[in-house]
Amino acid sequence: MTAEFVTQHLALAQHRSPLSWLSEFNERGQARFADAVIPNRKTEAWKYTSLASLTQGDFAHAAPSVDASTVTLPNIAGIDALRLVVINGELNIEASDAKALELIVHFADATQEQQDQINALLGTIQGEGGHLFAQLNDANINAGLFLNIPRNQRLKQPIHICYLTTPNSEKTGFTVNTRLLVNLETSAEATVIEHYIGDEEQNSFTNAVSEFRVGDNAKLIHYRLQLMTEGALHIGNAHIDLQRDANYEGFHLGLGTKLTRNDIVVNHNVGGSHSEMAGVYVPKNKQLIDFHTCIEHKAAHCTSNEVFRGIMNDQSKAVFNGRIQIHRDAQKTLAELSNKNLLLTNTAEINTKPELEIYADDVKCAHGATVAQLEEKAMFYLQSRGISKADAKVMLSFGFINELIDNLPHEAIGDWLRPILAHRFGRSSDLDDQLAQGN
Amino acid sequence: MATNAEIEQQIAGNEYKAGFISDIESETLAAGLTEDTVRFISAKKGEPEWMTEWRLKAFRQWLEMETPEWAHVNFPKIDYQEISYYSAPKSMEDGPQSLDEVDPELLAVYDKLGIPLHEQMALAGIAVDAVFDSVSVATTFRDKLEEAGVIFMPISEAVHKHPELIKKYIGSVVPVRDNYFAALNCAVFSDGSFVYIPKGVRCPMELSTYFRINEAKTGQFERTLIIADEGSHVSYLEGCTAPMRDENQLHAAVVELVALDDAEIKYSTVQNWYPGDKEGKGGIYNFVTKRAIAHTNAKVSWTQVETGSAVTWKYPSCILKGDNSIGEFYSVALTNNFQQADTGTKMIHLGKNTKSTIISKGISAGKSSNAYRGLVRMNPGAEGARNYTQCDSLLLGDKCAAHTFPYIESKHPTAVIEHEATTSTVSDDQLFLCQQRGIDTEKAVSMIVNGFCKEVFKELPMEFAVEAGKLLEISLEGSVG
Amino acid sequence: MIEIKNLQAKVEDKDILKGLNLNIGPGEVHAIMGPNGAGKSTLGNVLAGRPNYEVTGGSATLNGKNILDLDPEERAREGLFLAFQYPVEIPGVSNLEFLKASVDSVREQQGKKALDSVQFLKLAREKCKAVNLDASFLKRGVNEGFSGGEKKRNELMQMMMLEPTLCILDETDSGLDIDALQVVAEGVNAMRDENRSFIVVTHYQRLLDYIVPDFVHVLANGKIVKSGGKELALELEEKGYGWLENENGAA
Repeated sequence: MTAEFVTQHLALAQHRSPLSWLSEFNERGQARFADAVIPNRKTEAWKYTSLASLTQGDFAHAAPSVDASTVTLPNIAGIDALRLVVINGELNIEASDAKALELIVHFADATQEQQDQINALLGTIQGEGGHLFAQLNDANINAGLFLNIPRNQRLKQPIHICYLTTPNSEKTGFTVNTRLLVNLETSAEATVIEHYIGDEEQNSFTNAVSEFRVGDNAKLIHYRLQLMTEGALHIGNAHIDLQRDANYEGFHLGLGTKLTRNDIVVNHNVGGSHSEMAGVYVPKNKQLIDFHTCIEHKAAHCTSNEVFRGIMNDQSKAVFNGRIQIHRDAQKTLAELSNKNLLLTNTAEINTKPELEIYADDVKCAHGATVAQLEEKAMFYLQSRGISKADAKVMLSFGFINELIDNLPHEAIGDWLRPILAHRFGRSSDLDDQLAQGN
Repeated sequence: MATNAEIEQQIAGNEYKAGFISDIESETLAAGLTEDTVRFISAKKGEPEWMTEWRLKAFRQWLEMETPEWAHVNFPKIDYQEISYYSAPKSMEDGPQSLDEVDPELLAVYDKLGIPLHEQMALAGIAVDAVFDSVSVATTFRDKLEEAGVIFMPISEAVHKHPELIKKYIGSVVPVRDNYFAALNCAVFSDGSFVYIPKGVRCPMELSTYFRINEAKTGQFERTLIIADEGSHVSYLEGCTAPMRDENQLHAAVVELVALDDAEIKYSTVQNWYPGDKEGKGGIYNFVTKRAIAHTNAKVSWTQVETGSAVTWKYPSCILKGDNSIGEFYSVALTNNFQQADTGTKMIHLGKNTKSTIISKGISAGKSSNAYRGLVRMNPGAEGARNYTQCDSLLLGDKCAAHTFPYIESKHPTAVIEHEATTSTVSDDQLFLCQQRGIDTEKAVSMIVNGFCKEVFKELPMEFAVEAGKLLEISLEGSVG
Repeated sequence: MIEIKNLQAKVEDKDILKGLNLNIGPGEVHAIMGPNGAGKSTLGNVLAGRPNYEVTGGSATLNGKNILDLDPEERAREGLFLAFQYPVEIPGVSNLEFLKASVDSVREQQGKKALDSVQFLKLAREKCKAVNLDASFLKRGVNEGFSGGEKKRNELMQMMMLEPTLCILDETDSGLDIDALQVVAEGVNAMRDENRSFIVVTHYQRLLDYIVPDFVHVLANGKIVKSGGKELALELEEKGYGWLENENGAA
């Protein structure tokens, strides 16, 4: 079964970029993927996550060149973002903002100088030790996107990259590989929103790899929002390299799909960098959402703070593995990780593992994980104010997540996400909707 | 001026105190492991057919298994054919009936360890079932225990005297196939303690075993089985020491605890096996499977102070099967020089309103590596279950490593799990404050380390708490001699 | 009592003390004032033997003994006490345990009889009361979770227990409100006698209204640039430090 998966996807990855350096990169990825071992339950990193729905699926290439006018494109109200639209893995020029197209270059359209830049960076941030899906992505890149923010430049408008997948008329299984490479030069600043969405129920497999290099004193605000439909499959890799005094603020959301697996790696490569990461996962029905995060402290005087929260409903399951590694030279590191979970039903499941690996002595690290139910005191307080138990439960569950939404660096994104999340808990508030529309 | 660098020096200077080799004639089986070895051991103990068969079945299963590799430890592959699986002091051939018959040199060994069977333990009111290499040497206080109906004897003897209990419970908590080392133990276990506390009885004294590995190249495979019948109560103490040897020695023990309804078992360990020398040569491989099953309203408490062994692989666990049952795990694990420890616990919550507490304190010094690995699992039936876990690491020096791998799995919405972990160091500022108040660095480190371990030490029986504190001081301060 | 001659010291390769001279007789209270970065705290830390504070020249003799070669704990046992500007927290080690170890070691060195636990507890509670700290603080970890004011009072309480001959108060008044300041001052004044000397390092003249010094010194750029009686403090409060630096520069 699993060998078939490799064969099938190798066949899909046969196509080559006309750019010779990229074609070579593809071939290296293909060679590694061909040798890849499909993880099973005994593979530590996949202990709780079965890939059966993926390895047993039947996938072909997505239908190319979808007419953007036939699909509904999402908009984030209240935020003045530069939207770039990618449909089924292909950059859609008509639907994208002209200014976004100026900033973000398709690998195939890159100038020689840009190609050199891409070639020098691509794959170096995630490294070659990534898991097999990263290798599959390497093998498959042809429509990669590159964003470079030059030295001292601050991009005021967020870049909103909308990855839309849409099924063909037969609704057969299809696969999409997306690739993003972002480079912030010294003291540059930018906000990048990666937004994954499907327009209708579909049997798709998205394999999304993004690499970010945040240069000296640069600042990246990053949203990675997975709002797919429930039948889709999503494997994501986000790798962030931080240089001296660099700053990273990230927010990661896992909402849709039958199976999501996200690997997020933040490398504190040089001293003085700071990362602040939050995440939310809210699976329902039979969904499985898995977040594996890793904060690598490789240099001294860096700080990291990570907060992930999840609510599991129905028969859903979530996996959170938060790893902090403090390398030998990373003295004076301050690292914190918190993971809190709520199980709403008898059939939901959470597996969490906050890991610390420490090889330096003068550091301060703490992690905490909890699994709990809604606080009785708070429930009672709401009930004593005349709110029904069911409503109180919804309000409190939502509140548990909303604490993180309230802290997002862009208020408008919070206002936009709030009703989407609220509906998830059976709470529909006209108040939220009004706010989401920017009223 | 005392700094962290100086502490490291002191740590590095430390040597193993219990490392003397006793000159006692032993009868040792030639190295190697086949079905014949298993039969030899079984025959040597005059075991009944069913026991021999049980061992052989385990041996055959072991042959099909593989060494687990998930632990955060590295050691060369063990050649199981190079190990001798049976060693008994010669003078024991006829089996001493009382302490007076015990080889005086053997008793002197215990004296050196500070556990004179004869008097001090008597004064302390402790019954000791001492395991010298593989055979139980002497059992004290048996009469007094018999009066209370408590059975405390070598497990080899219990096989003959209480076959119904052994048949019923052996392998019931740790199944033969549970893991590689447990299966090996089932096949070749040499001896160990057996305890049975009858219904409603509060064991009148602390029970204690002191283990040592003496003979070179002998693996020690002891096996302990404790059954606390309904409403009974027992506190059991286990201490371990081994002499210095250049080569590594294997120790693969199995401990099974059964706490029936309303019973309580407290199991305390001070483990001081030889850790190897400053260059990491020699030392014990301590691969131990310890597990308890707690029935309705029962309580099981594991307390361990681990300072010895070159490699430790040990997870005393509780299966909280009965409603309202309680599991506790209190641990201090100290590693120095090239020691490696991967230790922790598993709390498996099956019953309603089950409760577990995990307090783990890891101290790493020298070039050692110290990992906490724990599992808390709330099964679908664990309504209202609770767990609280706190695991703290203290790093002394910048060449050691500390790791935390907590696995948290929940399948019940009303189960509450809380896990907290921190890492810290003894800072130069703290040491200077102590020095400025006239307290020297050695004393200051010892105070801070003892303070760090306080929550665990208070769970130990008094005599052990004192010993544990001393052990830590010896292991860290280098105030030898 | 203590004689400091041409003391020079550096911290992390930066010269801080550049030839400081100071003589303090028995029973005297000397206040050290001066602008930020003058080396006020360094003086206390160097005398107490803090690691990373490197003496590069000069001498300091306490009761005829050169203390600069001694370990910090030996200096403490010789009767030198530093009340820290920022007392560090030591979680897990109770104040009582810490204090007992400290008092035992200092008394032993000084040839005094060891206190038994009953005497010790009685004394410790007494001193707590004197500095307005609840006796329950004794059971808590050393400075763990103490407020700034509580930490300072805890330092004073330890000073009372140890009965040192030379007390160095390093900005003990910083961050204290007037009530807390009075408690500290009363404690210090109660300890003043003909055999005990004080170096009071402060940033604010206000403290000297409560602890009246015999001498006031101005420390600037690593040296004592002016000395005088208590009226010097008032002058400094009025004029600041600028005029002194000019005066010194001219000289």
